[in-house]
Amino acid sequence: MTFRSRASESPPLLRLLAIAASVVLAGPAVYLIVRNFTADADPVNLLFSDRTVGPLQRTVLLASLVSVSTAILGTGLAWLTTRTDLPARRLWRVLLVLPLVYPTFLGAAALVRTLNPGGLVNDVLTNIGIERTPALQGLWGSWLVLTFLTYPYVFLPVAARFAQLSGSLEQSARLLGDSSWKVFQRIVLPQAVGSIAAGTLLVFLYAISDFGAVAILRYDTLTRSIETNQLNRPVALALSLILLVLAGTVVLAERYAQRRRHATTTSIRADRATPLPLGKTRPLALAAVTLTTFIGLGAPLAAIIEWSIRGIIRGQEIRLDTGRVAELTWNTVWVSTVAAVATVLLVLPVAVLYGRYRSRTGAIGNAVAISTFALPGILVALTGTFFINQSDWTFDTFRNTFTILIFAYMIRFAALAMGTTLLAVKAVPDRLRDAAETLGSRGLRRFVTIDAPLMTPGLLAAGGLVLLSTMKELPISLILSPFEFETLSTRIFGTFSEAFVTEAGLMALTLVLFSLLATWFLVIRPSDS
Amino acid sequence: MAQPSAHKFHRFTALALATGLVAAACGSESSSTASVDASSESGNGLEGAAAEIFSGECATTSDTELTIYSGRDEELVGPVLDAFECSTGISVLTNFGDPTDLALTLVEEGDRTPADVFLSKSPGSVGFLQNEGFLQTLNDDLLGLVSEQNTAANGTWVGITGRQRVLVYNTELVTEGDLPESVFDLTDERFRGQVAIPATNGSFQDWFTVFRAQEGDDVAAQWLADMVANDAIVTESNRPTVDAVGRGEFSFGLVNHYYNFQQAEALGDDHQALNHSFAADDIGSLVIVTAAGITSTSENVDEAQQLIEFMLSEPAQAYFTGDSLEYPLSSGVAPADVLPPLNDAGNDFDVAFDDLGNGLEDTIAIIEESGILG
Repeated sequence: MTFRSRASESPPLLRLLAIAASVVLAGPAVYLIVRNFTADADPVNLLFSDRTVGPLQRTVLLASLVSVSTAILGTGLAWLTTRTDLPARRLWRVLLVLPLVYPTFLGAAALVRTLNPGGLVNDVLTNIGIERTPALQGLWGSWLVLTFLTYPYVFLPVAARFAQLSGSLEQSARLLGDSSWKVFQRIVLPQAVGSIAAGTLLVFLYAISDFGAVAILRYDTLTRSIETNQLNRPVALALSLILLVLAGTVVLAERYAQRRRHATTTSIRADRATPLPLGKTRPLALAAVTLTTFIGLGAPLAAIIEWSIRGIIRGQEIRLDTGRVAELTWNTVWVSTVAAVATVLLVLPVAVLYGRYRSRTGAIGNAVAISTFALPGILVALTGTFFINQSDWTFDTFRNTFTILIFAYMIRFAALAMGTTLLAVKAVPDRLRDAAETLGSRGLRRFVTIDAPLMTPGLLAAGGLVLLSTMKELPISLILSPFEFETLSTRIFGTFSEAFVTEAGLMALTLVLFSLLATWFLVIRPSDS
Repeated sequence: MAQPSAHKFHRFTALALATGLVAAACGSESSSTASVDASSESGNGLEGAAAEIFSGECATTSDTELTIYSGRDEELVGPVLDAFECSTGISVLTNFGDPTDLALTLVEEGDRTPADVFLSKSPGSVGFLQNEGFLQTLNDDLLGLVSEQNTAANGTWVGITGRQRVLVYNTELVTEGDLPESVFDLTDERFRGQVAIPATNGSFQDWFTVFRAQEGDDVAAQWLADMVANDAIVTESNRPTVDAVGRGEFSFGLVNHYYNFQQAEALGDDHQALNHSFAADDIGSLVIVTAAGITSTSENVDEAQQLIEFMLSEPAQAYFTGDSLEYPLSSGVAPADVLPPLNDAGNDFDVAFDDLGNGLEDTIAIIEESGILG
């Protein structure tokens, strides 16, 4: 494949949309740079000070470890649930996405409650004679928790990719006597490298931006320093800028690696691939998905159920009624759906410009969108406030409106949609589009008949990631929502932080349930049919 | 494409199942709250706790809208705000959130901020706003409603309720006789590796700021260094600390009194922890206040003052202590029965919260330098 730019062939309207999207996505970077100047922050000096070097090293170490483990786990699970004869594959494909629905402050706290000394698992282990289990904490605790809460960032796009691949090469290889592992290694893996890299990059950026898990697990990273210094503006702003530069560097490094990688073979599924028989390893594979589901989904769920039902059983007065929960659920579902659709539409022009026409503008927009994912959500919320506060009119028109809220969600989660959308764009081979054009099909007709069907699984996975992330989003929802507009996650945060654990638990159960339904109807089923 | 009818059927079952589950989860609670509501329904349309705070007829709705940035959760202040709306006719618009995030937003909004009143869980964020020049001086009548040590020295904010610093301990692992009299005792060898400190949390930082002001930087920094040397465990915030002590992951935690009551109410016997108060004159027994201030840009100062007065009135204070088990600070309301009475001396520290905000930066620097975070 050649890397010549075809930017000159791109439609002007597409270029215009992509530039507009890139400008919006650059908002937080612009805000941070401006505020570093106005607050007299000194990021350069701070970078080399003792208080920064340690947390920075720990941040990179943790994020790297989590990236490696999620790449392996996410890819392996995606392969098992799409290309093999693992029992109940579609069920696993829903369940394995779900750890994504826990807001990390809740997911980490719940995992700790279940797995740490005195928790449910501990009780079980004590009963069978295992007295001492290590407490989740520090580097290894953060690594474990982040791995099991973020592997879906790899799993979802890679599963979407695998579902799309033709099985013919695999079958030929097997007929020629290759073992399952060899087939996976030589045929399947190379075709999914792009998806794996895109997902792993998201995990890395998420891990460097996460505050909830490292705080609960007591590991001192850069975001923990930012959080501790929130009210010391020059320090917090400078540290945030350092975080953004780190993210940008990693994104560019990945880009460089990607250029050197051999282009992925584009093979399109003509018909449903025959699942690979796992044979004797089937119980082992089943154990792997069960264990992952248990740690990532089950263990937090156990604590959430424990929190919610003990109070109910004891007849505690609960400050929550069905109507309120229904209202919160509806708010959560519709605002997240709108955010998911809007985000995919925002990144699509950038992805097409970059993926199809290899334009520099597209490349920049793509890098900006992805780097921004490393910034804490509160910074994106403050960015929104900063920009509308440039004039009386913009402030009065947009403050605490759905417009500004959705824009902020789009900026916050564009990275989640970008990688997968880009792969969806690339899933449409140029030669197929060229052939269609030769046969007289172009414009909208070509889009509907050629592009759309091939892109659908990828776009749905992109939208699904944004949807699930918006459903649990916190700082933006708390700050920019219209007054009195609340979602499940904002109420979970409010009640949980004031230790109304019964109420928080009940709403968290509702959140998990509706995320499950959303994953099933919006992501898994459409891409299967 | 599979058969559409089968799909529809699955979709319907799934939705029905989901609705059923949620209804079941919430159903049990509507029945338990129903009895409470029935007894306290009072012709004015208010329900539950709000109806207990104000039972009169609602005033005619005025044109004024009061905007509140509330760093205190809706579960805690919602009923008071509802009762206020009914009794005064003033509409209230509230933005609930983390107090630090709300303070940062307010500063970013600058002069255009719609906020009239800022409510905070602890003095740190009001102190920050005061330093940035975003709070106005409250009038003497308002300041006079609470004792002097529970207001800002320059009169920019006033305490609403109190949360006492306590040592939460696991009842299986610790016998009552072993409980320390002073926070300084925690540096003893017998507490090695057993005490959790939520060092990154606002309420601990606020306490530590007063500790510094009271005992001097040297003593405070030395205490923290000794705690680190004694393998103190650093935790994120009050709630997870109380949760871990209740499970027995470690024996002690330095927290606000409030959280253990909520956790025990939800989890019952499964939660094996109790609060222990240090001696009344020990700095470890400090009461940290939740606070309210009026923004310097507010155009509804009268109404904002009315709101703060309302929060300090007898029925609101009785609600705060009766329902959320905080210490009342005004109107002669006695603390709820389950709360250990505060010794007057316990609150009477010379330096109250003057230096918060200003002092917070140094507090964070000392905490970071102590090495407790790594």
